[in-house]
Amino acid sequence: MVYINGTASLSPQNSLDYNKFLEGIIEYEKDFLQSIKPNYKEYMKPIAARRMSKTVKNGIICSQKALQEAKVDIPDAIIVGTGLGIVSDTEKFLENMLNNDEKFLTPTAFIQSTHNTVAAQIALKLKCHNYNFTYVNRGFSFESAVIDAIMHINEGKRNILIGGTDEMSEHYFHIIRKNGRWKKTKVKNTELLNYTTNGAICGEGVNFFIISSEKNENTYSEIKAINTFYKPENSEEINIKLKSFLNNADTKINDIDLVITGHTGDAVGDKIYYNFLQENFRNKPASYYKHLTGEYQTANSFALWLGANILKTQIIPDFIRLNGNPISKIKNILIYNHYFDINHSFILLSQA
Amino acid sequence: MEDLTLKLKEQIIEALNLEDMEVDEIETDEPLFGEGLGLDSIDALELIVLLEKNYGIKIENPKDGQKIFYSIKTMAEYITEHKS
Repeated sequence: MVYINGTASLSPQNSLDYNKFLEGIIEYEKDFLQSIKPNYKEYMKPIAARRMSKTVKNGIICSQKALQEAKVDIPDAIIVGTGLGIVSDTEKFLENMLNNDEKFLTPTAFIQSTHNTVAAQIALKLKCHNYNFTYVNRGFSFESAVIDAIMHINEGKRNILIGGTDEMSEHYFHIIRKNGRWKKTKVKNTELLNYTTNGAICGEGVNFFIISSEKNENTYSEIKAINTFYKPENSEEINIKLKSFLNNADTKINDIDLVITGHTGDAVGDKIYYNFLQENFRNKPASYYKHLTGEYQTANSFALWLGANILKTQIIPDFIRLNGNPISKIKNILIYNHYFDINHSFILLSQA
Repeated sequence: MEDLTLKLKEQIIEALNLEDMEVDEIETDEPLFGEGLGLDSIDALELIVLLEKNYGIKIENPKDGQKIFYSIKTMAEYITEHKS
């Protein structure tokens, strides 16, 4: 059995405090959504944070909160998934090279730009010498971290810190926008599902969890199963993957009480979600969340945070409801996500 | 000199990414390294580059760094003496 015993999220919404999150959605009309900046001084001295980009600081804060919540001092492993790593520091270093004609180069931005900086800084802060790994597998980065953590638990480890982290930079956003992935105009996040154009809403976030072998009074949910699959041919193949996934988890479609999907406002990508729900979960309640966070490689980590909190509190905020299908007690949640129809994944969460 | 120390503090905050610090949180006479502000050898590199980039001052002998970078005050004095 694998349980989620601690969670923390920093996103463009008030997710660091779940009670505030429930108070409502923060509206944006922007090119891309950015995480709310916490008061870093509350968590670390400015001198200690001087070599940390926003994502590293957010990773440290979320990992601290998740560890505190689960009452874990030192985890048996730290596993992070990130699509872009610390892209802002990479850009800073390259910009300095260009602007100063390759002179006056200092090492700080370069040192901090590596993808494993978040996991490394957490380990340094905790003085944790245990297994430390960062997965950079594009749209499977976070899922790979979860799968690795589950394998560690199955091999006898007790508490694993896992996280999904990604930041969006102006440069990266504009480069990727050129290939049509992001919407060409500013997006109003509260009206995401009304868009009929191609291109997703873009965003960022940091979400951390303590995955444990034993449940306790703070347990959010059980991670019953996870599966990833690459570039399915069509909806039929997705449906076959779903049946196989649920079958392996000894779960029936009727056992699913809520489906969380990753609608991004992209007409092409969202059609896959609509077909999936229509063909498999027509009468089931469904929720979506990327109008809260935007799309990014590890956005599924926010879905895991959301699902875990819903199972614990039994509260589904109205602003994430995708349909009006009646809700009964939530015992099982299926999270279905795909990153631009390339990286698809299922996660099954159950009440602990 | 007062203008220069203020400007130096601003430049140090930017160069060292001390974005959550204000200029009045850095004492002019306080040691920059060790028990004072708590900078380390990587910061020293940043300060050397700062002097060269913003004031055209190149430190030829690394051993001089200990005195020059002792505090904001010693940095400002060195800049005043050596600015080209």
